Amino acid sequence: MPSEIITLQLGQCGNQIGFEFWKRLCLEHGISPNGVLEDFATDGVDRKDVFFYQADDDHYIPRAVLLDLEPRVIHTIMSSPYAKLYNPENVYLSKHGGGAGNNWASGYSQGEKLQEEVFDIIDREADGSDSLEGFVLCHSIAGGTGSGMGSYIMERLSDRFPKKLIQTYSVFPNQDEISDVVVQPYNSLLTLRRLTSCADCVVVLDNTALNRIATDRLHIQNPSFSQINTLVSTIMSVSTTTLRYPSYMNNNLIGLTAPLIPTPQLHFLMTGYTPLTTDNDQTVNVRKTTVLDVMRRLLQPKNMMVSTGPDKTNHHCYISILNIIQGEVDPTQVHKSLQRIRERKLAQFIPWGPASIQVALSRSSPYVQSSHRVSGLMLANHTSICSLFERALGQYDKLKKRGAFLDQFRREDIFKDDLSELDDSRDVVDCLVQEYEAATQPNYLHWSAKKGQGE
Amino acid sequence: MSFNASPSPSLGLNSPSGVPLSTAGRSNYKDIYDLLERLCKSFTGAKSNHRDILRHVTQYISNCPSALGSTMPYDESSLLTKITQHLNATQASGTAHTASILRGSSGGSTNNAALFLNLNEQLKSSQLEARQRNALLTFLLFMADSKYTTENGSSSNPSVPPSFSRTRYSNPNAFLPPNNTIQTLRGHTFHKAQNSTPFVGNGGVSSGIYNSSEINHKISVLRQSNYQTGNHSGSENDSTPSSVSMIPTAASTQFPLRAGSIGPDPSKMLETQSNINDDIVQNVIYAFTGIPGKYLKKDVVSGKFKLDVKAKNLNVVQAGMMLRLAELGYYHDLVKSYTDTKSGLCALGLMGQGFISALRAELTKYYGMVALLQEQLNKQKQTEKGALHSITNRQERLTLMKILVWSVDPLQRLQLLAAIAEACQEKKGGALASTVHGFLSSGNPMVKNLAKELLVAICGPLYQMLTKWLLEGEICDPHGEFFIECLVEVGPDRLWHDKYRVRSSMLPNFVTTDMANKILVTGKSINFLCEICEDKQPVKGRDELRQCIEENAEHIFSAVADTKLHSTIDSIYLNTSKRVLDIVMGPHKLLEHLQAMRRYLLLGQGDFIGILMENLKSELDKPAKELYSYDLSSIMDAAIRSTNAQYDDPEILNHLDVRLMSPCDGDIGWDILSLQYTVRGPLATMLEPSMRIYQVLFKPLWRMKHMEFVLSSKIWKDQKCNSKPLRPMAAELDKVLYRLHLFTSEMIHFIHQMQYYILFEVIECSWAELQEKVQNAKALDDILNAHDEFLTTIKCGAFLDSNSGDLCHNMETVYEAIVRLEVWQDKFYELCFRELNSRKEFDKDVLESEKLGKFGVTAEKKLERDQEHKIFEQTLSSYHKSLENIGGDYEAAVRCFLLALNSNNDHNLQLFGIRLDFNEYYKKRDQRLGVPLTFEHMRMSNIYFNNSKSLLGSRIN
Repeated sequence: MPSEIITLQLGQCGNQIGFEFWKRLCLEHGISPNGVLEDFATDGVDRKDVFFYQADDDHYIPRAVLLDLEPRVIHTIMSSPYAKLYNPENVYLSKHGGGAGNNWASGYSQGEKLQEEVFDIIDREADGSDSLEGFVLCHSIAGGTGSGMGSYIMERLSDRFPKKLIQTYSVFPNQDEISDVVVQPYNSLLTLRRLTSCADCVVVLDNTALNRIATDRLHIQNPSFSQINTLVSTIMSVSTTTLRYPSYMNNNLIGLTAPLIPTPQLHFLMTGYTPLTTDNDQTVNVRKTTVLDVMRRLLQPKNMMVSTGPDKTNHHCYISILNIIQGEVDPTQVHKSLQRIRERKLAQFIPWGPASIQVALSRSSPYVQSSHRVSGLMLANHTSICSLFERALGQYDKLKKRGAFLDQFRREDIFKDDLSELDDSRDVVDCLVQEYEAATQPNYLHWSAKKGQGE
Repeated sequence: MSFNASPSPSLGLNSPSGVPLSTAGRSNYKDIYDLLERLCKSFTGAKSNHRDILRHVTQYISNCPSALGSTMPYDESSLLTKITQHLNATQASGTAHTASILRGSSGGSTNNAALFLNLNEQLKSSQLEARQRNALLTFLLFMADSKYTTENGSSSNPSVPPSFSRTRYSNPNAFLPPNNTIQTLRGHTFHKAQNSTPFVGNGGVSSGIYNSSEINHKISVLRQSNYQTGNHSGSENDSTPSSVSMIPTAASTQFPLRAGSIGPDPSKMLETQSNINDDIVQNVIYAFTGIPGKYLKKDVVSGKFKLDVKAKNLNVVQAGMMLRLAELGYYHDLVKSYTDTKSGLCALGLMGQGFISALRAELTKYYGMVALLQEQLNKQKQTEKGALHSITNRQERLTLMKILVWSVDPLQRLQLLAAIAEACQEKKGGALASTVHGFLSSGNPMVKNLAKELLVAICGPLYQMLTKWLLEGEICDPHGEFFIECLVEVGPDRLWHDKYRVRSSMLPNFVTTDMANKILVTGKSINFLCEICEDKQPVKGRDELRQCIEENAEHIFSAVADTKLHSTIDSIYLNTSKRVLDIVMGPHKLLEHLQAMRRYLLLGQGDFIGILMENLKSELDKPAKELYSYDLSSIMDAAIRSTNAQYDDPEILNHLDVRLMSPCDGDIGWDILSLQYTVRGPLATMLEPSMRIYQVLFKPLWRMKHMEFVLSSKIWKDQKCNSKPLRPMAAELDKVLYRLHLFTSEMIHFIHQMQYYILFEVIECSWAELQEKVQNAKALDDILNAHDEFLTTIKCGAFLDSNSGDLCHNMETVYEAIVRLEVWQDKFYELCFRELNSRKEFDKDVLESEKLGKFGVTAEKKLERDQEHKIFEQTLSSYHKSLENIGGDYEAAVRCFLLALNSNNDHNLQLFGIRLDFNEYYKKRDQRLGVPLTFEHMRMSNIYFNNSKSLLGSRIN
C-alpha cells in the first residue's frame, strides 16, 4: 500500500508513548486489541493501511518496530491485551538486557552493535510496503536507549533510505524537576545534533509543558506517566488524521510537513491541542467550542505542548502554522475565524516570507465519541522553540565546564579518542539557535548568505 | 326534462331576466311567484285558466326584462292609479266574457279595484324594493291590457298547438318560478355543450339527452312565439313592449298599411295586403338563413344584404325594417363561413374542430328558431287560403315588427359568435383557447356564458391530450395544438433536458407557466420512467384525474387556480415527481454518483488522486503522442486498488475512466490527461449536460494538484534529500540554497492557500448546499438545478468564468514559474553533484597518491581543479541569477494576482486575497496593495494589468 509509514519505538519512553499511540489508533479504526476489525467498523471510510497492514488471516498488524535495551516496558506491552496486535518478529529486545544506563554513548554503541539485527527488521518491514513514505520515531532525548540508540538509528536510516522522510516525536525532559539522570544535558545535546542533521521533521513534546498542562489545565495533582502519555497519544493520532481520513488535502506525510518547513534546518514543530480533557474528567463541559474559539485558544501559549519560557524581547514569531480541525465544521466559519485572528493580530508571523494559518479540515473517527463539537490540533513552526535548545546548551555548558560525568562517555567507542563529538554537537545546536534567532529578522536571507560566507 | 328540476344556481343568478330582480335574491322569486299567482287567481277567479295568465306573466318577465326596465320613470302611485282606473273601466264597460269570469271569480265581490289595492298592500309588506314593486306594477298594468285579449284570443284561437297543453300537464315543473323559463333555455344550451363534448360520456346516454333537450328547445321556442303573438295581439297599437308607454303615438306611423287599408273593398285589400306582407316576411326569413329573395339581395363585395332595386312596392319603414332584419342574415352568413372548413377562415386543428362544431350547434339552434317562424308563416298562409278574414286571424299574423322583436336575441348572439369566430380565424390549439378565453372576462354575462360554452367545446381535445400526457406521457397531437411538444429528433440521452418543452405559442393563457411546467415535468417524468428507467408502474391517481377532468372540465380556465382540477394536477405532479426521485435516488443512486464525481473528478478522494498522480508521473512526463489510454487506465486501476477508492461501490468505479484529449504539438501527458466519469442510461439522461462542465473543472484542479505535487514531492523533497549529501559544500551553496528554499516555501504557501480556498471554501461549501437541497428536493429538477448551481459556483470559484481572465492569466504565470523552478532545480543539483563528485575524486586521487608516497597533487592537476572550481563558481552565480529571475517573475505574478483579487467585486475573492497575504508580506513590499479599495485603486489596477509586463521588466532590470 502506498504512502506507508513505519513507526519505530525506542527505549522506555518511546515504547510507552508508542503503545498509547497504537491503542488510540486501534480505537479510532475499530480494531480490537488482537488486531481483528470490530463488527461495527467494517464499512469505514478510514484508511488503515498507512499504519497497519493486513496479515493473511485479515488481522491488522501495526507497521511498528519495538526496540529496547531493557525488557521492562516491552514486557508490559507483551503482557497487555494488545500483545497479539504486534508482529512478534518486530519486537526486538537486546539479549544483553542491561539497558543503556541512561547513557547516550552506551545506547549509541549498542545501536551500532545491534544494527544488523535491527535493520533486518526495518528492511523487512520496508520491503513489505508498496511505497514507503517515511519513518516515525518515538523516543525521548534524555535517556540512554531512546537518545543514544535512536541517534544511531537515525543516522543509519538517513543513509540507507535517503529518499524517505524521517519524522520524530521527541520527548524533551521536564525542566521543572531535578532529573535523576545526571548526564541528561549531554544526552540531550548529542541527540539534538542528530535531530537537527538527520531528521526531517521533529515534533517536540516537552515534558515540562505536558506536566504543566496536566496540573494547570486538567487539574491533576501529580500527573502519572500514563496520563501524560494520553496527551501525547492524542497529539500523535490527531496529527496523523489527515493521512488516515483522506480528504482533499494533506493526505501524505510530505503534504503535511512541506508547508510547515521552509528551510531544512527549521524543522522543529510545536503542538497545541484544545479542548483538553482526560478520561476521569467528569466536570460539566462549560466550554463552547466554535471554530474561532478553538483556533484562538490554539494560539495561546498555555495550550502549547512546549514550554518556551517568557519571550522578553517579544520578537519570536510563527514561521508557519497548520491547524487540523476536527468535528462539525463549516468551512465558512474557518474563514471568518481567520479574519478575526488577523484583525486582532493574535499571531505574529515571520517578516521574510508569506505565512499564514493553514487549516486542514479532517474527519474524525466515528467510533470515538468526543464531548466537544470541534477540536483542534496545531502544528506550529515557531522561532521561540530555540529557547529549549538554548536551555539545553546552558545546562550542557555548566556540566561541561566542570568536566563532570564524562568518564562513562569515554568508555564508549565514539568518545574513545576525544570528546570532539560533544563540541561538534554543541556547535550544531548553537548554529540552530542562531538560525532560529535569525529567522525572526527580516534579513534572514542575508544571514544565511553571511553564514555561508563566514564558514 | 330532468334538467328543469335541478337548475344550477350559478346559471340562475346569471340570467338576464335578473336585471330588475337580481338584487331581490333567490328567495324572493318564490315570493314574487306566489304573489303573482295569487294576483292572477284574483283576476280570473279560482278557475284553472289563471295559470295561463301566470305563464304569460312569467314568460313576459323572462323574455322582456327590458320592458320592465323601461317603465321605471313611473312612480308607484301613478301606476296604482292607472291600474285601478283600468280595473274600474273594464268592470264598467263589462265585456261579457270578462265580466262573467270576474263575477264568478271573486265570489260576489264587485270591486276589483279594491281587491287590487288590498293585494298591493300585501305586496308592499313583502319587503320588496320599491323599484321592484314599481316594475311589478307596471307589468301588471300591461297584463291588465293583455289579459283581456289573451283570454279572448286563447278561447277562440285554435292555433295553440295541442302539444303545448300536453306538455303543460305532463311536465310538473312547467310552472316554476319566473327565472325557470330562462333556465329551460340555458339548461338546454348547457346540455348542448355537454353533448358536444363527446369524449366525456358514451354515445347512448348523450343522444338521449340530446333528444330531450331538442324537444325542450322547440317548446321554449314555441312558448316564446306564443307569447309574442299573445302580447302583440293584445297591444296591437303599441307594437313593441319597450315602446308601449314611451311613444304611444308611434303606432299610427308604424303601421301605415293598416291605416291605409281601410278602403272600399276591405277584404280584397286585406288579402293583397297580407300577401305582400307574407311575401316580405318570407323574404326576411329566407334572408335569415342567408338566402337572397325577391326584395333582399346580397352585396357581392361586402356580403351584406341590400334591397333589390326592383322592389319598389315597399315603403320606407318596411325597407328599413327589412334591412335591419337582414343584418341577421349577414351575421348568419359570417358565422357560417367560419364553420366552413373550406373557407380557410375557420379555426384549425382538433380544438378548432371543437370550436366549429360548437358554432354549428349554435347555428342549428338558430335554424330551429327560424324554422318555427317559417312554420307559423306557412300556417298563416294556409288559413288565408281558407279565406277566413277574421280580425283575430289578422292579429295572429307575423309582421316585420314581430320578427324584429324576435330577432333581438339571435342577432346579438350571432354577432357575438361572428366576433369570436373572427378573432379565432386560422388559429389553433392553445392560441385558439386563449383567444376565446379573452372573451370570458367580458362583463356582459351573455358574452361570458357564450364564451364559456365555446371554450368547453374547444377544450375537449385539449383535455384528451392533457389526460393522455399526464397519465401516459404520450402526445397525440397531429396538428401541433398541444402546449407541450416533443422533439422527435432528440435522442433518449437528452430526454430529460431537451426532448420535451412547452410550446409557448400554444399555451392557453388560462394555464399559468408554472402549471404548464408542472404538466410538462409530469409527462416527461412518465416518459423518463418508462423509457429510461424501464419502470412501467402506472402513475398513482389516474382515475382521480380522469374523473376530475370529466366532472370539472371548465375548472381549467377558472380565474383562480385553486380548483379541484388544479389540485389534482398538482398532486399528480407531486406523485410522479416523487416516484422519479425514488427511482433515481434509489436504484439509480443519483446521489452516490454525484458524490463519486465530487470525489474523483473534483479531487475529493485525496489519497486516490495523490497516488494516481505519483503513479502516472513517469507516463505523463512523456510527449502526449506517445501515450495510450489503456496504459493509463491500468495505472488508474492500480491506484484504485491501492487506495481507499477500492472500498467504493464497484458499480460506481466502473464509471470512472481515464481519457486523453487530442494532443496539440508540444503537449506532454499532463496537458491532455483527464479523468472521466462515463454516464449511461438514466444517469446520462440526467447528467449529460453537466459532464462537460466537470471536464472543464477537472483540468485546472488537476493542474493545481499537479503543481502542489511538483512542489512538495519533487522540489521540496529533493531539497530535503540533497541537503545532507551536499552539506560539505554548504558554505558555497547556502546563498543559493536559501534563496531556493524561500522561493519554494513561498510557492508552497501560495498553492496550499489556493487549494484550500478552492477545495474547501468553494467546492466543499457548495457541496454542503447541494446536499441540503437534494435532501429537500421535491422533484428531479430541484436536484438537477441545484447541481447546475453547484457547478457554476465552482466554476466561478476556480476562476474559470468569463470575468476571471486576469486571475487565470496570473495563475498561469505562477504555475509557469513553478515548472521553471523544477527544471532549474534539476539542473542545479546536477551541477552541484558533478562538482561534489569531482571534488571527491580529486580528494581520493590526493589520498591515493599520498599513499603511494608521491606528492598529493601535481601542479597540473591542481590547476585543472582550480579551473573547474572557478567555472563552477561562475555557473553557480549565473544559476543564482536565473533563480532570482524565476523568483522575480513569480513574485510579480503573485502581486498581480493579489491586486486582481483585491480589486475584484466578489467579496469572497477579496477575502481570499487577504488570506493569501495573511502576514502582509506582499503588502509591505508593494505600495499598490496597501492602497485601500477605492474606485481610483480599481482603475489603477486595470492600468497596472495592462502595463504589468513592462513594469515587470523594469523591476527586474
